[in-house]
Amino acid sequence: MAELDRSRFGEPAYMAQRVAACEREIQKGIIGQRQIIRQVMLAMLTGGNVLLEGMPGLGKTRLVSTIGKVFDLSFKRIQFTPDLMPSDVTGTNIIIKNEQGSSFSFERGPVFANLILADEINRATPKTQSALLEAMQEHTVTVGNVSHVLAEPFFVLATQNPIENEGTYPLPEAQLDRFMFKLLVRFPGREELKGIVALTEGNREPVIEKMMDGEGLLAARALVSQVPIADAVMDYLLEIVMETHVPNPHIREGASPRAAQALIRAARAKAFLEGRFNVSFQDVREVAYPVLRHRIIPGFDAISAGITEDDIITRILEAKTAMTGR
Amino acid sequence: MEQREFLKIIHAFRRRMNLADFFKKSVFALSVGAGVGILFQATALFVPFYDANFYMILAFLFAEASVIVAMLVKRTTMEQVALRMDGFGFEERIVTAYEHLGKEGTFVGLQRADALRQLREHKDRIRIPLMPPIPKMGLLLLLLVASVGLALLPSGAKDRAAQLQSIREEAHEKEDEIEEIMEALEQLAQEELTEEQQDALREMTESLASSLSEYQQADSKQALTAASQKLNYKYEDMSSRLSDIIQDLQAGAGVSVVSADAMQEMADKLKNLSDMRQARNDGSGTGQSGSGDGNGQGQSGNGNGNGQGQGGSGDGNGQGQDGSGDGNGQGQGGSGDGNGQGQGQDGKGNGQGQNGQGDGSGGGRGDGSSSAPHDYVSIPNAIADSGNLTGNVDSHDNSEYFRAQNGLNWEGEHTSYEAAIGSYEQNAYEGIAAGRYPSGMEDIIKEYFSSFNQ
Repeated sequence: MAELDRSRFGEPAYMAQRVAACEREIQKGIIGQRQIIRQVMLAMLTGGNVLLEGMPGLGKTRLVSTIGKVFDLSFKRIQFTPDLMPSDVTGTNIIIKNEQGSSFSFERGPVFANLILADEINRATPKTQSALLEAMQEHTVTVGNVSHVLAEPFFVLATQNPIENEGTYPLPEAQLDRFMFKLLVRFPGREELKGIVALTEGNREPVIEKMMDGEGLLAARALVSQVPIADAVMDYLLEIVMETHVPNPHIREGASPRAAQALIRAARAKAFLEGRFNVSFQDVREVAYPVLRHRIIPGFDAISAGITEDDIITRILEAKTAMTGR
Repeated sequence: MEQREFLKIIHAFRRRMNLADFFKKSVFALSVGAGVGILFQATALFVPFYDANFYMILAFLFAEASVIVAMLVKRTTMEQVALRMDGFGFEERIVTAYEHLGKEGTFVGLQRADALRQLREHKDRIRIPLMPPIPKMGLLLLLLVASVGLALLPSGAKDRAAQLQSIREEAHEKEDEIEEIMEALEQLAQEELTEEQQDALREMTESLASSLSEYQQADSKQALTAASQKLNYKYEDMSSRLSDIIQDLQAGAGVSVVSADAMQEMADKLKNLSDMRQARNDGSGTGQSGSGDGNGQGQSGNGNGNGQGQGGSGDGNGQGQDGSGDGNGQGQGGSGDGNGQGQGQDGKGNGQGQNGQGDGSGGGRGDGSSSAPHDYVSIPNAIADSGNLTGNVDSHDNSEYFRAQNGLNWEGEHTSYEAAIGSYEQNAYEGIAAGRYPSGMEDIIKEYFSSFNQ
């Protein structure tokens, strides 16, 4: 791949090609999980954070480190544990003694990086979780009376284990809302597993090349926000969000306005990533699942009937299709 | 240039889409119209419904008209066309480009160029068939055939409907004629007339109103003929009464020339109408009342006579209202058969009994051959029509209670059975003589009362 041409950062076609090349490069380091890679890319293109839910060993850390290499971004991994303190995440003021005397100096925590992997975020206490969530939302870290601005681009990829719930602190709905996507990492298929084994246990590690940098990613984000969207598509998107608030025995609480914002941004990013300069209904449909699944709170009827959030979203989309033919 | 080309393509598809929508909606609307038509035709098979064909055509026209109106009101917009075109795999490129026409910007320009390029390359993907789907067309055809088939299918109800329609049409003509005459009567200068003459005119108007009502209610040929005969008689009578009024007025010289002329004109018109009808009846042969022997009835006696139609002449013995003839009469106070001569409704005749001679009086009216009209107006009997008696008809209390309630001291009086029957019989025969009963009922009434005398 040719060198990154900074003079062409304003060209949508060029940037779309570069981003698509980044995606292909990430796929070299991660076998399978194409949908996860695509959706993580969408989140990165819109400045959103991702919550990954899946069993350990599915390549989450590898995914983040590969992304870091491809985008040439600094990467930190924080293992969340019940005794992890907020200062372990954000950093803390320490006393420094020197010839002039002693003074406080802010020691940056691991959150000061472009890419953060918050592993098993639900194992830390709500206080520590909140420290990270402030960074995610505001892109700042407040220690004492001083707020420290995080470097851009800033991207958090948090993980949680869906089965080990003992001794965990599930994220409250309000905090879940701050994640743009919730992605479900599924166990790979046989062929994919074969590929993973061959890749990791082989003698030769794939060479991951840098395809973009932080500046390029920010430029791509700026372009994504300009992707035009037709009124009909916008209406469709808003109707989907509104549909989660229509009285429904399967839904206890519908999606927040952030869901609509996330849907628009994600749909635009998807169109951009596919080299298209407009948003389609299909874009909205595809991003509806990762955007809405953690923003819809299922009702008792749904839980008792084994109806998942994805099932509810499918029903909403199907109902829309039946009504509008789209 | 790009924009113009882009719009041109969308416009072309819009025209096609509108046309396709029109055909599609037309097939649907005509199917509904045919369904409604079938309903009308099916109804007409069992219920007299003369206008079934008209309503079926109306349903078709209404259906098609609603499609035209719907198409004019809700024409496909350019956005809708663009969206529909996008449905052929353009991923909302066309609608986005259309909505951002005229806007400038890097992305907008790229998007428009992308949309146009896609449209140029893949225009053949967009297929908008003009003709609606064959199953729908087939269904429409089937419904049309069924509705036309049902329309052609004969049935008794349809014959009856046709008959009723002809009656209604004829009745309408008469209604118009009566209304015209009523209007003319009302316009006569009534202020110049005496109270009596005004009453006479009012009576004429009411009589015509009654005829109008009869025509409106006429639902059979017989009822129509009966109403026509009554009307004819009324015309003749009214003509004569108007002439009398004119003569009275001229004698009194208290009326303007204009009013007298108007009345004369009216009288002539009525006379003409009556003559016209009479001529029509003569032409057809026998009058409504038929011909034959009748039993005549004297006012104060009864007798058998051969009667003749009212105002006409024939081979019968008897007497019409305005004619004379012989009748066999039986005096109320006498017995035996006698030959009587009666005249008119209130006429008298002399009868001679077989076992004696007595006076009998009677007016004879029977079935007779006649080309003259009869007045068969029935009036309600005056029995139990006392204004002093009030009460609840639903209550079954006896008459004493009512008397007490109404403060009446009259205890009533006893009368013999024969006298009561005689009184009823007298009333009935008077009614027959006066032509109050419908044609054909006279014999039944006479037979009924004869049965008491046997």
